[in-house]
Amino acid sequence: MDILAFLSKLLYGGLGNLAAYLAAHVLLCLLPAFYIAGAMTALIPKETVTRFLGRNTPKFISYPAAALAGSVLAVCSCTIVPLFAGIYKKGAGLGPAITFLFFAPAANILALVYTGGVIGADLAFARLFLSLAFGIGIGLIMALIFRKEDAEHDAATDAMFAAQRSMRRAALVFLLILVALLLSGTLKVGLLTDTYTTFTLPVSGMDRFQDFLYNLVPYDASKGEEGVTAQGALLIGLLVLIGLASWKGLEKIHDKFTAWTWVAMGLVGLTLLVASLGMSPHAGGLDILITGKFFGVLLALGVLTLLAWKGLSRDELRDWLWESWRFIKQIFPLLVVGVFAVGVIRVLIKPEWIETLAGQNTLLGNLAGVIFGVFMYFPTLVEVPIAKMFLSLGMHRGPLLAYLMADPELSLQSILIVSTIIGKLKSWVYVAWVALFSTLAGLIYGAWVDGTSIGLVALYLILFLSLLAGVLWLVNRRNQQKTAAEKASAD
Amino acid sequence: MLAIKVLGSGCANCKRLEQIAQKVVANLAIEAEIIKVTDFAEIMKYNILSTPGLVINEKVVSSGRIPTPAEVTTFVTNALMAA
Repeated sequence: MDILAFLSKLLYGGLGNLAAYLAAHVLLCLLPAFYIAGAMTALIPKETVTRFLGRNTPKFISYPAAALAGSVLAVCSCTIVPLFAGIYKKGAGLGPAITFLFFAPAANILALVYTGGVIGADLAFARLFLSLAFGIGIGLIMALIFRKEDAEHDAATDAMFAAQRSMRRAALVFLLILVALLLSGTLKVGLLTDTYTTFTLPVSGMDRFQDFLYNLVPYDASKGEEGVTAQGALLIGLLVLIGLASWKGLEKIHDKFTAWTWVAMGLVGLTLLVASLGMSPHAGGLDILITGKFFGVLLALGVLTLLAWKGLSRDELRDWLWESWRFIKQIFPLLVVGVFAVGVIRVLIKPEWIETLAGQNTLLGNLAGVIFGVFMYFPTLVEVPIAKMFLSLGMHRGPLLAYLMADPELSLQSILIVSTIIGKLKSWVYVAWVALFSTLAGLIYGAWVDGTSIGLVALYLILFLSLLAGVLWLVNRRNQQKTAAEKASAD
Repeated sequence: MLAIKVLGSGCANCKRLEQIAQKVVANLAIEAEIIKVTDFAEIMKYNILSTPGLVINEKVVSSGRIPTPAEVTTFVTNALMAA
C-alpha cells in the first residue's frame, strides 16, 4: 500500500508540473516563439548572414556574424550541421565555426524566450551576453590552438559564401510584428498588464470547476508551485485542438492549403487571445478582465493576418507554416515528456542536497552545475524546466547559469557532430574550454546576483578577457616567430 | 535517364523531399533514379549551406527548403529539356 501511495505521489508530481506548465508558461511565450523560429528559418535568406562568413572576411566581422548566424538561422540540426561544416571547411575557419556552434543552442529564439518566460528575463539576458562573449572567446582560442590545421583549409575556395541576397521588406515587417506579438503577451509593464474593462459572463459552476482542478492537481504555493486555473484548463483544451487541426491542415501543406490550415491558424489566434485575458470565476459567474495585453495581441494578430494575406507570397506562407509546425512537432512532445519527468524527479530530490551542493555561489557549486550539464543529456529546451526545478529547490542563480550554459553546449549530439567534422582531439579541447567558461560565467553572474556592483563585475569580466587576450596574443606571436623560423630554415 | 539526388542526413525535411520527388517522377512517368545522399563529405561537395538539397543531373536546383511538387515538376521538365 505504501508503494502504491508513493507511486501515485510521483504521478501527481509529474501531472501537476505538466498541467501547470502548459497552462501558465507555455502559451503566451512559447507558441509565438515557435512561429518566430519558423519565420526565421523560412523567411530570412541564409545569404544575408553567410556572406560575412567567407574566408577573406576580417575577424572582427566574421566572429560576430557567426554568432548572429547561430542565433538567427540555426534552430534545428538541418541548418546547424551543414552551416558548421561549411564555415569550418570552406569559409571563415575553425574559430567562427566554433563560435557559431557555441552560440546556436544557447541563444536561439526558442531557448531565450523559454528561459525568460520560465525562469526570468535576467537569466535569459545573462545567458545571451555571456554566451556571446565566451562563444567568441572560445572560437578565438580554438583557432589559435589549432592554427596549423586551420591554415591547410586556406587553399579551398569560398565561392559558397559569395552569394548575396537581402531580405524582402514585407517578410522583415512580418517577422518584427511576430516579435511584437510575443512581447505584448509577455512583457510585464503596466500598460499591458492593467485591466481596462471587466464584464461578467453568466456561467455558473466555473468556480466549482476551478476548485475541482485545485483538488485534482494539488499545489504548494510556498514551494513556488502553481495550480491549474479554469482558464488554464481551457487553454490546455485549445492546445489539444490546435494539435489536431494542425495535423490535418499542416502535415500535407506541400500538396495544398486546406480548410484545416485556416482552422489551425484561427485556433492559434484564439488561444493567444484567451491567454491574454484575465479570468476570475466566482459564484455569480465568470469575470472577464480585458487587459492591455489583449489589445496588444489583437492588434498584432490583425496586422499579421493582413500581412500574411497581402505581403507574403504563397510559397513564403507555406514555408513559414511548415517550418513552425515542424518545430512544434519535433520539440513539443519531448518537452511534454521532459516536464512530466521533471515533476516526478522533483518529488524524489531533497532540497537539502541541492542547497548543500550549490546553494551558494562557490567554485564547487558552479563546477557541480557544469558537471551535471556535461554528463546529463536532455532534449532541446528541457534544460529549462530542469533549471527551474533546481531553482525552486534552492540552487543559487550562479551555478544555475553555469548549468544552463553547459548543458545545451555539450549535449552528446553536438559532441558527436563536432568530432565527425573536426576530429576527436579538437572536440575534446572544445569540451574542456566550454566547461571552464561555463563555470566562470556562473561565478561572475552569481557574484552579480549576490550584490557585487555591476562595475566590479564588469571589471572582473574585462580583466579576465584581457588576460585571455594577452595570452592569446603572446601565443600567436610565438607561433608566428616559429613559422617564420621554420620557413627560414626550410629556405 | 535523370539522376535525382536528395541531399540530407535524414532529418524530417529530407524524407519529405524524397517523397515529393518520388511522386513527381511517378506522375510524369519518366525514367529517373532517385538517390539519397546522407554522407556529409559528399553533401559538402555540392556547396549547400542547409539541407535538404535537391540535385538533378549534378546541378543543385534547391536547398534549405522543401520545394512544392509543382516546383519539382518544373525542375525535372527543365532538366529533361536541357538533356
